Amino acid sequence: MYRNHKTGIIGIIITVIVLILIVAFSNGENNASFFENVASKLVMPVQNGLTYLKNKISGNSTFFTDINKLKEENEELQAKNSELEQSLRELENIKTENEMLKGYMNLTEKYGEYKTIPAYVINKDISNYSKTIIINVGKNDGIQENMTVIADEGLVGYIVSVTDTTAKVQTIVDTASSVSATMSSTDESIVCKGTLDSTKELKAMYIPTDYNIIQGDSIETSGLGGIYPKGIHIGTVKQVEATKNVTDRYAVIETAVNFDKLSTVLVITN
Amino acid sequence: MKKVLIHIELIVIIFVIYFLQSNFFNWFTISGIMPNLFVVFVLFVGLFASKMMGTIYGMVIGLILDVLFRQKIGVSFIALGLVGFLATIFDKNFSKDSRMTIMLMVAGLTVLYEAIIYFANYFVLGTTLEIIPFLKILLIEVIFNLLLTIIIYPLLQEYGYYMENEFKGNKILTRYF
Repeated sequence: MYRNHKTGIIGIIITVIVLILIVAFSNGENNASFFENVASKLVMPVQNGLTYLKNKISGNSTFFTDINKLKEENEELQAKNSELEQSLRELENIKTENEMLKGYMNLTEKYGEYKTIPAYVINKDISNYSKTIIINVGKNDGIQENMTVIADEGLVGYIVSVTDTTAKVQTIVDTASSVSATMSSTDESIVCKGTLDSTKELKAMYIPTDYNIIQGDSIETSGLGGIYPKGIHIGTVKQVEATKNVTDRYAVIETAVNFDKLSTVLVITN
Repeated sequence: MKKVLIHIELIVIIFVIYFLQSNFFNWFTISGIMPNLFVVFVLFVGLFASKMMGTIYGMVIGLILDVLFRQKIGVSFIALGLVGFLATIFDKNFSKDSRMTIMLMVAGLTVLYEAIIYFANYFVLGTTLEIIPFLKILLIEVIFNLLLTIIIYPLLQEYGYYMENEFKGNKILTRYF
């Protein structure tokens, strides 16, 4: 296996650490704050001890001698703390449930003109190259292929296949997706395509040569193509990329829906 | 009986990998890129188990992935089947005792598998061809797979030889020369 067992184990440990560090530093804020927390937990006790020593030496210490009293107080506080933690957990459960129900309410109120069925996202594609999702409604709920899927913020995609209890949705950020759209300031049609390297951006192509695109322009579905109904919000123009040939220029669209955190959707059935 | 047990164990491993891929590796990513443990698993089965097992396991897993996630059935089925088949050929020609050899196999087969999937999608579904982003994602995925292979290599080898003894028995020659 390994020429030297000890070297092998050290090698594996180093690889694990390297992997965790790569993951942490490549994913920005979330993991960074996690590591900050870990680091602070490791360093803070030492820091506290040093501060205490410093205070004691400089005569500012308020340390008192009644250790028994302190112990009692500590026990009481610990008991109270666990009670509070328990209630906090219960409250958090209620809060999550409440937010989910509010999400449903918002969705149905916003898209009241459409007949819709709510659904949860139960799975996401495990490949790096396609961005399909699976939802928990299917034929039994009246879902059919080519139905449009939306979320509170805007367009999600359409149903590509359906089983009795689940449906597969091709999201608009998938590289195989093309959505015919219009900009808020004009009636001209453009095509929004998914890109490989982002789950938050689309590439708007075939922009009319005589049209000036404005950053922040709202993009909506045009209703062309026969899948998506007209007027569903897709996103906003983030940036315009000029090319040598004006016909090749394209715009980067920031999707209204955050596909990384997508959990509830509505399927438009009419 | 032991062979049946190994098959059950492999099925459990497939489920574990599936849940790791769809849950854990959804957030434990390198710049948003996940590894592909199915390629490593099929390679491992192809190298250590009996002649056709790698190909069969590859095709079955590919079919499941096609049914679950792809729009057209057949691409993962062929690609993972090919990975299993090539692993069987590698078994005949290369030593499994070298970590470097295993890592080269993992890198090569990950590239092959993802290239097949990507270009098949380009031709079948008409996806836009984006070579540079594709290569960037592929490179990170290969590195991720390699790091994971280094970590699980001792485990893979130990279980692999146990499996090989059961399926190949006295046909194992390479380890004695």
